[in-house]
Amino acid sequence: MIHKVFETFREWIDSRHEYAKAWKGRTGKKIVGYFCTYVPEEILYAAEILPVRILGSHEPPTVTEPYIFAMFCPLCRDCLAQGLKGRFDYLDGIVEGQSCLHLRQTFNAWRLHIPIDYTHWIHVPHGVQTPHAIPYLSQELAKFQQSLEKWIGKKITNEDLDRGIKILNRNRELMRRVYEYRKLDNPKITGLEVMEMVLSSQMTDKEEHNKLLEQLLQELPNRKLDRNPGVRLMIIGSEDDDRVFMKNVEDLDATFVIDEHCTGSRYLWNDVVPNEDRLLAIATRYVQRVPCPSKDWPEFTRIQHAVDLAKQFRIQGALVIQNKFCDPHGIEVPPLREALKDIGVPTYPLEFDVTVPWGQFRTRVEAFLETLTGLEELF
Amino acid sequence: MAEMNTQEYWRWPEYRHTVLDKDWHNSKIITAGVDVGSVGSKAVVMLDGELYAYSAMRTGGVSEATAVKVMNWAIEETGLKLDDLHYVVGTGYGRVNVPFAKRTITEIACHARGAHYIYGPTVRTVLDIGGQDCKAIRCDERGKVLSFLMNDKCAAGTGRGLEVFADLVSVPIQDLGKVSLSVDEEPQPVSNTCVIFAKAESLALLRQGWPKERVAAAYHAAMADRIVDLLMRVGVEKDFVVTGGVAKNAGVIERVERLLSIKSLKPNIDPILAGSLGAALFAKALYEKQIGLR
Repeated sequence: MIHKVFETFREWIDSRHEYAKAWKGRTGKKIVGYFCTYVPEEILYAAEILPVRILGSHEPPTVTEPYIFAMFCPLCRDCLAQGLKGRFDYLDGIVEGQSCLHLRQTFNAWRLHIPIDYTHWIHVPHGVQTPHAIPYLSQELAKFQQSLEKWIGKKITNEDLDRGIKILNRNRELMRRVYEYRKLDNPKITGLEVMEMVLSSQMTDKEEHNKLLEQLLQELPNRKLDRNPGVRLMIIGSEDDDRVFMKNVEDLDATFVIDEHCTGSRYLWNDVVPNEDRLLAIATRYVQRVPCPSKDWPEFTRIQHAVDLAKQFRIQGALVIQNKFCDPHGIEVPPLREALKDIGVPTYPLEFDVTVPWGQFRTRVEAFLETLTGLEELF
Repeated sequence: MAEMNTQEYWRWPEYRHTVLDKDWHNSKIITAGVDVGSVGSKAVVMLDGELYAYSAMRTGGVSEATAVKVMNWAIEETGLKLDDLHYVVGTGYGRVNVPFAKRTITEIACHARGAHYIYGPTVRTVLDIGGQDCKAIRCDERGKVLSFLMNDKCAAGTGRGLEVFADLVSVPIQDLGKVSLSVDEEPQPVSNTCVIFAKAESLALLRQGWPKERVAAAYHAAMADRIVDLLMRVGVEKDFVVTGGVAKNAGVIERVERLLSIKSLKPNIDPILAGSLGAALFAKALYEKQIGLR
């Protein structure tokens, strides 16, 4: 039953801590939290460690002020708040791959103030557009592998790495196949459902997640959504796991048919291409993946990717969202909007905080939808 | 015994009006627009697309009740009943709280449409300054929105901010703009962009001995700066017009015009009604669609 699949994704997100604790109790294995999708989960799976992404809870944060600057982004403060409140007390370790300074501060504050057995910082290079980036990251990954081996007390073999690569590639491939159903005139899946699929993938054992994805893909071809798809929208920008916002927008005769953020397509668009040197293969994937704008310079390569997605998924408009104080995403907003405008796609910018003021946002989103299709017949 | 001064300087006059030379019995289509804003609520009745009756009052704590009250007040002396209205459109922040509206349309679309009615088809840029937000709207020759931007969250640079300021300097809100223009030399604008902080900063200036006219000038200049920032982001094309309650404040509008080096068209109809006018015009089109005229 397809609705059961979606319910399970939702339950996994809503009960992410219970899920992780039960997994740990069942397997007796370690769990590591990570903040950014530049952490190569392949290596953690190879070590039989469950990686779970640390995300916020969208409650006004009250505990982070002494530890993190107030003008850092809501995501990094909300993530730290979860740690300070003890909600991730089952974690055995935290790992972060360099992306932005804000999440680095969260990692450091966590390391300093929340008791944890293992921490590791991966120096993921910013200069991903230079030829040095892949060999550099490959060496950093070797250090990460050695550090993990020391912690768990056993070697990570090539077979282990192959297993990790296979699990991750399979998960991405299955989710990309689900994305194909968003291209239809009447998409078989909503933007909210896709967000819940991807978020739950970041919070659960991917082997279990893959089984559910296989079931979803069996049932999806026969699904007919009993709703008017309305305006075909893209959502693009900073990390976004605000499911309330997604639902509210899709209740206004609109459907998110594609997204471009690290809780969506950016997480799953690129695979590891197997190579005899496993770490080089993994490093290549993370250097050449659709980049976070913190690494996307001097060329804005992601903008062309966004334009390609806009065409493939035939969007009518795009909501460009930016977490408050997220400078890397802020930098790309003007050229991104310009590039979409050049292919005839109107955009509207919205600034996200820990919670979203829906009253005001509703007016903006509705008015944007009205400009796209809504009122032509009334003039 | 001395009495306390209890004058409510922030309170703007509520009013209603009926165009007496029109008779709704002779009209084919009677429509209404109700604009429930965060601070003020407005209702407009149109007969075959022409302005007939209207009212404006303060929005109360319960939007539904205000919507009913402002609509009933507009039709009070006309003999019309709510049931006589062929189609009603709700707009404004409380648009979903208009119980007798058949449809809601955002205030962005309604202000552009209303501005087109008030100022004519040459309008290309509409600045709407309401109670809690400020909108810069670009539209075409039909009054259809092409693009728009709104201020974020904070109410500085909006009507509610002016109300707070009127109270601070004890100047009736209708006179504030004029008072702010009575300075010989324009002072530095207040630097804060939050209503509460801007009020605190203005209070500090008063305590330093600044006359209230100068403080008012500094406050209005800051509002104008903020509004111009928004307008520059959306781009200003002639003709430029202003709607919403703050359109009546010359201190804000003249400063905005000065900064942009552009004059705004002057209205013959109260621009506070633009949203409700637009809603009533959309209501007419929707009713025509409903009965097969479109």
